[in-house]
Amino acid sequence: MGRVITVTSGKGGVGKTTTTANLGTALAMGGARVAVVDADIGLRNLDIVMGLENRIVFDLVDVIEGRARLKQALIKDKRFPDLCLLPAAQTRDKDAVSHDDMVALTNQLRAEFDYVLIDSPAGIESGFRNAIAGADEVLIVTTPEVSAVRDADRIIGLTEAFEKGHPRLVLNRVKTRMMKAGEMMSIEDVLQILAIDLVGVVPDDEMIVTSTNRGEVAVMDKSSRAGKAFVDIARRVRGEQVPFMALDEGGGVFDRLFGMFGRRPRGSER
Amino acid sequence: MGFLNGLFRKRERSSDLARERLLTVLVHDRVKLTPDVMEQMKAELSAVIAKYVPNVDPDTIEVTLARGDSIDHLKAEVPLRRNR
Repeated sequence: MGRVITVTSGKGGVGKTTTTANLGTALAMGGARVAVVDADIGLRNLDIVMGLENRIVFDLVDVIEGRARLKQALIKDKRFPDLCLLPAAQTRDKDAVSHDDMVALTNQLRAEFDYVLIDSPAGIESGFRNAIAGADEVLIVTTPEVSAVRDADRIIGLTEAFEKGHPRLVLNRVKTRMMKAGEMMSIEDVLQILAIDLVGVVPDDEMIVTSTNRGEVAVMDKSSRAGKAFVDIARRVRGEQVPFMALDEGGGVFDRLFGMFGRRPRGSER
Repeated sequence: MGFLNGLFRKRERSSDLARERLLTVLVHDRVKLTPDVMEQMKAELSAVIAKYVPNVDPDTIEVTLARGDSIDHLKAEVPLRRNR
């Protein structure tokens, strides 16, 4: 039986879809059977981020309403034979799907795949509730900004209220230089404020824009720093102990995190 | 140098401001008390206190949410007039 993991955030635009696409691809590259599901009904996005937008025939609502079987709607990513996408409907809204529909759908997927990743819509409404309905665990994506962290706190509270266990945090778009200058909240600040475990830190990386333009995900590019961070997140999701990487040569803000693992990055100044 | 600057100019760092503002707003978010509800509660508390404690000026009562290290507090400060 596979694990169902929902990627959510509260605030929009912090990187849920990018995280889902990269984490799903990284897990598939590691040999797992992976389904990524776009649960943002009416605002289809995961397909275009993954470069699969031209291959959609059926969508999630078609499956729920019985017009297509799950196997017909799942799009196989030709680059990774063990990676499939279930796209969102574009011409319907969130009311086309119920809580029970999502539980049934995730149960069906869980039987066929090792990992089922659900890309949640922003917000705290029914779209979000449906997205976590079948989840075994939840990953919260945030950036080190006051608005995103505040919304993340709300979502963490709701996730725990729905008895989805303790979510883990993906801290996205980290600008090391600003953190060092004290002009961006530190990783420790965010973890302390949210009282949550960290599953990954993703550096702000312009290459994400470039690769998304091409319909490629960053983990496919070995030179991408963000891609490397997502590969590490995939390994932690699989249960491996992976030290948090230094985002630049100086070490700096990461020294204390490395301290947790009893080691320091090579070339650290201090 | 950067370290020394950091020490002496700590208050000016925007990340510290961000953290402080967030922590304060989250205390309110987490107990789901809007400023309106806080005002209403304060008025009701003041009325009850005035009923039992004669030497209190209800206008001086302050009800606030305060952040603590491990737990947060709902604090009511009730100044008493010193008359014998």
